Amino acid sequence: MAAPQKQGFDRHMRRKLINYAFVGLTLAATAVAVIALLLILASLVINGFGGISSTVFTLDQPPPEMPGGLRNAIVGSLEMCGIGMVIAVVIGILAGTWLAEYGDHNKLADVVRFLNDVLLSAPSILIGLFVYELLVVHVIHGFSGLAGAVSLAILATPVVTRTTEDILRLQSNQLREAGMALGAGKGLVIRQIIWRASRSGLMTGALLGFARISGETAPLLFTSLGNPNLSLSLTQPMGSLPAVIFQFALSAYDDWRRLAWVGALLIAITVLSANIIGRALARGSHKQ
Amino acid sequence: MNFDVSQADTPSVMVPPPLADRVIDVRGLNFYYGKNQALFNVDLPVARHQITALIGPSGCGKSTMLRTLNKIYDLYPGQRAEGQILFNGENMLNAKEKVDTSQMANAGGVPINGDTARLRARVGMVFQRPTPFPMSIYENIAFGVRLHRNVSRAEMDEIVETSLTRSALWDEVKDKLDTSGLGLSGGQQQRLCVARGIAVEPEVLLLDEPASALDPLSTAKLETALMELKSSFTIVIVTHNLQQAARISDYTGFMLLGKMVEFRPSSDAFVKPETAAMRDYVTGRYG
Repeated sequence: MAAPQKQGFDRHMRRKLINYAFVGLTLAATAVAVIALLLILASLVINGFGGISSTVFTLDQPPPEMPGGLRNAIVGSLEMCGIGMVIAVVIGILAGTWLAEYGDHNKLADVVRFLNDVLLSAPSILIGLFVYELLVVHVIHGFSGLAGAVSLAILATPVVTRTTEDILRLQSNQLREAGMALGAGKGLVIRQIIWRASRSGLMTGALLGFARISGETAPLLFTSLGNPNLSLSLTQPMGSLPAVIFQFALSAYDDWRRLAWVGALLIAITVLSANIIGRALARGSHKQ
Repeated sequence: MNFDVSQADTPSVMVPPPLADRVIDVRGLNFYYGKNQALFNVDLPVARHQITALIGPSGCGKSTMLRTLNKIYDLYPGQRAEGQILFNGENMLNAKEKVDTSQMANAGGVPINGDTARLRARVGMVFQRPTPFPMSIYENIAFGVRLHRNVSRAEMDEIVETSLTRSALWDEVKDKLDTSGLGLSGGQQQRLCVARGIAVEPEVLLLDEPASALDPLSTAKLETALMELKSSFTIVIVTHNLQQAARISDYTGFMLLGKMVEFRPSSDAFVKPETAAMRDYVTGRYG
């Protein structure tokens, strides 16, 4: 009982049209997202690129209507991100390793994994408030670079933990067995073989964590506050790029706003390169 | 692929090597993956300085059997073995058990005493797919050696050269010992894994289908290496390749549905199988 030729044709056409419409819709949505991103990057380059000069890196943030740069903010951001990343990488890699290697059929691991996912998407302002209560109000009694670094570490740790677990699970069990068949203990196999085999993936996790925190403003406003002068001391308030951008971009002074654009461009370049390097490394590790 | 289930229920035909020659003697082994029993009352005598091949259709338990001999199944909770796995007269499944060893040979050495690391130093393993470690060729071999003894750089150089020579890989890699083991071809990687295994100087070497991922030429090189190694090591090999088993092994165990159906010297087993199951298998009725 063959269907009439005409009906079959119509149905075929309709399906084709729906398909085109669907592809068109997804393309349009992608275009919106890509165009928005390109516009952001373009405005950053147009407004910020002209302001980049050596004084940006050699002078501290100026009072209104005075020449100046962003040295205190750049150094503060680097210091807090650096310390934050060291804490996050140590905790994240160890926690991710525990989840991947020892956390099968383990209730505690399920709970940790769930909480880690919650923390992964927790609003950064909450993390800032938490560290404010914990360190600024009670332990250190005052805004400090250390409190800033800790809040950034709390933001980056779940990213590193998650990537570490995913990456280690990609390694074949046969590699683990091969190490243990030689008489090595599980810990040694993980440290000397599994970590080494996952090196580039672990790097990727760290870079993604870094990309996550390098532009964070909210937690720093509660913790390191900001400091118009260059300060390396962890117990004193410390300047940071996001905090300076926040302050300068909303100001009435043209040269402050110009510096804010420069700072924004610097952060964008940093985040972009961290992402690109991270992804390139991840691709390299898959080829292996 | 179909075979008659009842064929596995026939009494096994065992023509084992003499008691005094057995370095490993498995008696009445039952093995469980959780609630599923995979091995049923299996015996496996392994003669010193001989090659013992395990053959049988997929899923018959030959790999499971092999994995009990160095207790590598230990890594996975839920997997367990019951029975006796005697290694030089010591029961690996129950360190405290007293075994009558009066008629058995013992190569000596430190008793295992329930220490799996010590067991694995004396019973090495090579896997189905090559598993080079992500380090240099030299370090791949040094890794295992360092686990068990302290050796000087000069001694290590010598161990690396000897192991690679014995696994028939030295000539191909002697100029690039510092390059990554991952850069070798599949066949070379597998021989590197053999070299890594023998560098620890085990008494027994277990091989789980070591040639299944290799081309015929690499397989031939590996087989030649194994024949050479027989003089110093005892080898147990699981293989799907019947010609390979017939070519290189001294004893052959045929397994079916978790049971040892026939165990005899290879020279007889392949020419005139005694059980209907093994006859069907080696003549290509299934598998």
